[in-house]
Amino acid sequence: MMLLIPILLAPAAAGLFCLLARSRPAMGLANMLAFGVTVGLGVMLLRKVIEPPYVVTEFEEFFRADSLSAWMVLLISVVSLGTSLYAGQYFRRDLAAGVVTAGRVKEFFVLTPLFATGMFLVVLANNLGVMWFALEATALSSVLLVALYNRKTSLEAAWKYVMLGSLGLALALFGTVFTYAAAVNKDSAMPSFNWSHLMSVAGQLDPRMIKLAFVFVLVGYGTKAGLAPMHTWLPDAHSEAPSPTSAMLSGVSLKVALYALLRFHILTTACLGSSFSRTMLLVFGLGSMCLAAPFILVQTNLKRLLAYSSLEHVGLICVGIGLNSPVTIFGALLHMGYHALTKPVLFFAAGNIHQSCHTLQMRLIGPGIAKLLPVTAVCMGLAAVAATGLPPFGLFFSEMTVLNGGFAAGHTFVSTVVLAALLAAFCGILYQLTRILLGVPKIVRTKDVAPSAGAPAMGLMLAALLVFSIWLPEPLLQVMKRAAGIIGGK
Amino acid sequence: MMFSVLAIMLQTALLLALAPLISGCIKNWKAKLQNRRGPPVWQPYFDLAKFLRKDMVISEHASWIFRAVPYVLFISTLLAGLMVPMVSVSAPLSLFGGALAFVGLLALGRFFLALGGLDAASAFGGMGSSREMTIAAVTEPALMLAIFTVAIAADKSTNLSQMLIAAQGPTWKLLNPAHVLAFAALFIVLLAETGRIPIDNPATHLELTMIHEAMILEYSGRYLALVEWSASVKQLVLMALLANIFFPIGIATDSSAASLGLSLGWFMAKLLALAGAVVLVETTNAKLRLFRVPDLLSAAFILATLALLSTFLFQ
Amino acid sequence: MNSSESELASQLITLLAAGMLVIQLLMVVQRMLLTSIRLFALQSLMLAGIAAIVAFFHNNAIHVYWVAGLTLIGKVFFLPWLLNRLVRRIQIDQEIAPLLNSTASMLLCGGFTLLGYIVARPFTSLERLGNNTLAIAITLLLTGFFLMFNRRKAITQVLALLTVENGVMLAAVALTSYGMPLVVELGIFFDVMVAVMVLGILVYRIRETFSSMDVSKLSQLKG
Repeated sequence: MMLLIPILLAPAAAGLFCLLARSRPAMGLANMLAFGVTVGLGVMLLRKVIEPPYVVTEFEEFFRADSLSAWMVLLISVVSLGTSLYAGQYFRRDLAAGVVTAGRVKEFFVLTPLFATGMFLVVLANNLGVMWFALEATALSSVLLVALYNRKTSLEAAWKYVMLGSLGLALALFGTVFTYAAAVNKDSAMPSFNWSHLMSVAGQLDPRMIKLAFVFVLVGYGTKAGLAPMHTWLPDAHSEAPSPTSAMLSGVSLKVALYALLRFHILTTACLGSSFSRTMLLVFGLGSMCLAAPFILVQTNLKRLLAYSSLEHVGLICVGIGLNSPVTIFGALLHMGYHALTKPVLFFAAGNIHQSCHTLQMRLIGPGIAKLLPVTAVCMGLAAVAATGLPPFGLFFSEMTVLNGGFAAGHTFVSTVVLAALLAAFCGILYQLTRILLGVPKIVRTKDVAPSAGAPAMGLMLAALLVFSIWLPEPLLQVMKRAAGIIGGK
Repeated sequence: MMFSVLAIMLQTALLLALAPLISGCIKNWKAKLQNRRGPPVWQPYFDLAKFLRKDMVISEHASWIFRAVPYVLFISTLLAGLMVPMVSVSAPLSLFGGALAFVGLLALGRFFLALGGLDAASAFGGMGSSREMTIAAVTEPALMLAIFTVAIAADKSTNLSQMLIAAQGPTWKLLNPAHVLAFAALFIVLLAETGRIPIDNPATHLELTMIHEAMILEYSGRYLALVEWSASVKQLVLMALLANIFFPIGIATDSSAASLGLSLGWFMAKLLALAGAVVLVETTNAKLRLFRVPDLLSAAFILATLALLSTFLFQ
Repeated sequence: MNSSESELASQLITLLAAGMLVIQLLMVVQRMLLTSIRLFALQSLMLAGIAAIVAFFHNNAIHVYWVAGLTLIGKVFFLPWLLNRLVRRIQIDQEIAPLLNSTASMLLCGGFTLLGYIVARPFTSLERLGNNTLAIAITLLLTGFFLMFNRRKAITQVLALLTVENGVMLAAVALTSYGMPLVVELGIFFDVMVAVMVLGILVYRIRETFSSMDVSKLSQLKG
C-alpha cells in the first residue's frame, strides 16, 4: 500500500485546508491531525524499511525511502506534531496581547504544513534536482514564517536568511548541475538524475567533476544546515521567528539540509574514496562547534543562546559523520534524534517566557522564572540538562558514543577539541539558564501566561525523550544501524 | 620601411579630402535626428577655406610652442594616418613598431596640443589641457590593449597591415568574442579621442564644459584651420582603424585600379555606417559629468583587458 | 550535425555567453535600478538564445526548447515586469554609493573572470557544445556574489541573486548536452519565480517598516 505519497499529501492537504478555513481552532486541529497522521505513517514506514528489500519506492523510483529517509521522516513528523500542539495556545495568547493579527496567524497555519511538506519531499525524493527544489521550497516558506511578526528585527533576520539561504541554494544548484554533468555521457540518452541510479554508476563518474561539485554542494547546503562560517543567518532567524517556527527550524530543518548534504557525501565517497568529503565535513563540523562555544558563553538573548546551541549540536553531528567509523556515525544519528526532541522543548519554554516577560534579554527576564511559570521552568530545566549532555538523557549517550569512537579510532586531537567545545557549551547553557530559572523573582509581573501553558507539547516531547533515552525499541535500533551503514558506505 | 611615393601622396590626399566630409556628415545627421535641418555636409570645407583666409590674433604671452603646435599636430596626425591601411591592405608607411608607433604619433600630437593650450596662459586653456590628459591616461592603454588583441591573431605582429592580411585568412572568425569585446572597447576609445558625447560635447559654447575646444580657444586663422583639420583627420584615422581591422570586407589585396576603386567604395560605406553609429550614440546619450568619465573609460579598459584574456582562454 | 554547423553553433554560444558576461559587468557599475532590471532581462534573453541554439543543434531536442521558452517568458518578461512594478511602488529608483567604487569594482570583476577561467580550465577538454562557457558561468556566480555584497539597495541584491541563477542555468545548458530532466528544469523555474515573489513581499515590507531600501540599515542584530 502507498506510504510515501500520503506522507507528502497529508500536510499539503492541511495547508490547503487552512488556506480556505476561517476558524482558528479548525486550522490548529487540521495541523495536528495531519502531523499525527504522518507520525503514524512514519512508524509504518519504519517497520517496512527494516525488512528486505530495505527500500520503499513509489512512482517508478521517483520517491524512494531507505532507512536514512525513514529516520528523517519520523523526526520531522514528531517535531511538527509537537509544534502544532504548542502553536494553538501560543498564538491565542499573542493575538490577545495584540502582537499579531489574525491574518498573520492564518499565514502561520498555512505555511507550517507547507514547510513540513517541503521537508518530507527532501527526504523522500530520489531525484537530486527535486531534492534541491524541495529544499528551496522549504526555505521560501520558512522565510515568511520568520518575518511573521513584521518587526524591524524580524524583517532584518528574514532578509539575511533569505539572501544567504538563496545564495547557498544557488551554489548547491551549481554543484547539483555539475554532478549531473558528471553522469552525462556524450553518446547516451539523458541519464536518470536519481540518487539510486547515480550510486550504482558511481565508479564511472568523472572524479574531478564530482570533487568540484561536492565543494559547491558543501558550501551551499552547508549554509542551509548552519555550518560555520556560513551560519550568520542562524542566530538571527531562529531568534526572531515565533517560537513554534524556531522549534521546527532548529529541530529539523537544519537536519534536513544536512540530509541533503549527506546524500552527496555518500555519492562522493562512493566515487572518490572516503577521505575527501569526510575530511571536509569534519573540518566544517569542528569549526561550527568551536565558533558556537564562545558565543554561548557571552550570550544575552535567550533564543539566540538556544540557536547557537543548535549550531553546536549540528557541528557535533557533522564531526560524528566526518570521523567515519560505524560507531561515530551511529552516535551522530542518535544525536540527531535526541536533539530533535530536546530543542523544541527549550524553544517552547522560551516562547512562554517571552510572552510573560515581553523580552528575551536574560538580564531583563531576571531570576525566579520557576516561581512565575513552574511547569515551564521544570520542562526547561529538564531540557537544558538534556541539551548539555548530562545523563540520563540520550544526548549524553550519543555524545559519549561519538567521543568514544573518536578516541578509539585514534583521532585524539579532534576528539579533544570536541570535548572542550562541549564543556564550554555545557557551562554556558547551564549558567545562563539557571540564572533565570532559579532564585527569587525581583521583577513583579502580571500573570499573562497560565502556569501550565504549553504543558501537553513540552510534556509529550520530554516524555518521548526520556523513554527513548532509556529504551530504544528494536525496529528503531535496526533502522538507525542501517542508516549508519548507508552513510558509511556499506 | 616600405613606401611608395605615389601611395603616400594618394593616401594623404584621401585623408585630407575625406576628413572634413565625415565631420560634416556627423553634424548634419545629428541635426536631422534632432529635427533640425543642420549645416550642409560640405560646410567644414567652407569653414576651412574661411579660416585659411583670415588673419591671426595671437596672445602676446604665447611662445614658439604656440606657433609650432598646429604644424606638429597636423604632421603627426597625417603620419599616423599613413600607417593605417585604408583602401589597400598594405599601408603606405610602416614605421617601426606598427601599432605602437601609431599610438605614439597620436600621443605626440595630443601632447603638443595640450602644451599649446597651456601656452597662451589663459585659464580655460589650462583647464582643457589637464582634462584632456586625464582622459588620455586611461584611453591609451585601452587602445593599445584592444589593438594587441587583434595583433595576437596576426602572428603576434603589431604591424597594422600584417593584421589585416591575417584577417583575410581562414582563421578569422566573425563571431570571435575577443573581437567583439575589443570592438566595444575601441568604440568607446573613439568617442573619447574625438571628443564626442558622452565624454565631451563638440558643439558646446560653455567654456567650463569644454575639453578639446578649450585647448584651441586661442587659435585663429590658419592655425585654427590646421588644428581643426587635424582633429577631423584623427577622427577619420581612428574610424578607419576600427572599420578595417574588425570588418576587413572588400579591402583591396592587390593594387589594380579596379579593386582599389571597389575598395574605396566599401571603405566609404563602412565609414558612413560607423559615423551613423557615432551619431546615434551622441544623440541618445547625455554628456557625462567629468568625474564620471574615468568610470566609462575604465569600463573600456576592462573590456579591452577581457578581450585580450579571451584570446588566450577562449580556445 | 556536421562539424561546420557545430563550429558555428559553438561560436554563437560563446558569443552570447561573452555578451552575458559584459552585461554582468555593466550591472556592477550601473546605478539606475530600472536600467539594471533591463540589463537583467537582456542577459536572460541571451541565455534563452543559448538554450535555443543548443536545442536546435541537438536535433531539435524538445525539452531544451521548453527551457528556452520558460526562460524567455519567465526571466525576460515576467520577472522584470514584477520587479519594475515593485520599484514603482517603492518609488526608489537609484542606487546609492556602493562600498567599492566603479573602477575598483570593475577591476575586481576582471580578476573574477580570470579566476573563473582558472577554475574551469580542467574541464575544457570535455567535448560538449560550448564547453568554454563554464568559465563564464563561474564568473557570473562570483560577480553575482560580489554585486550582492557591494550594493546596499534590496532590489539590487535581488537582481544579483537572479544573475547568479542565470550563471547556474548557463552552466546547466553548457555542461549537459540535453539539459537536465524537464521536471527538474520546471521545478527550478517555478522556484525562481516564487522566490522573487517572496522577496518582493519582503522588500515591500522592509520599505514600509524602515522607510528605506538601504539594507545597511538592517544591522541591529549582532552577536
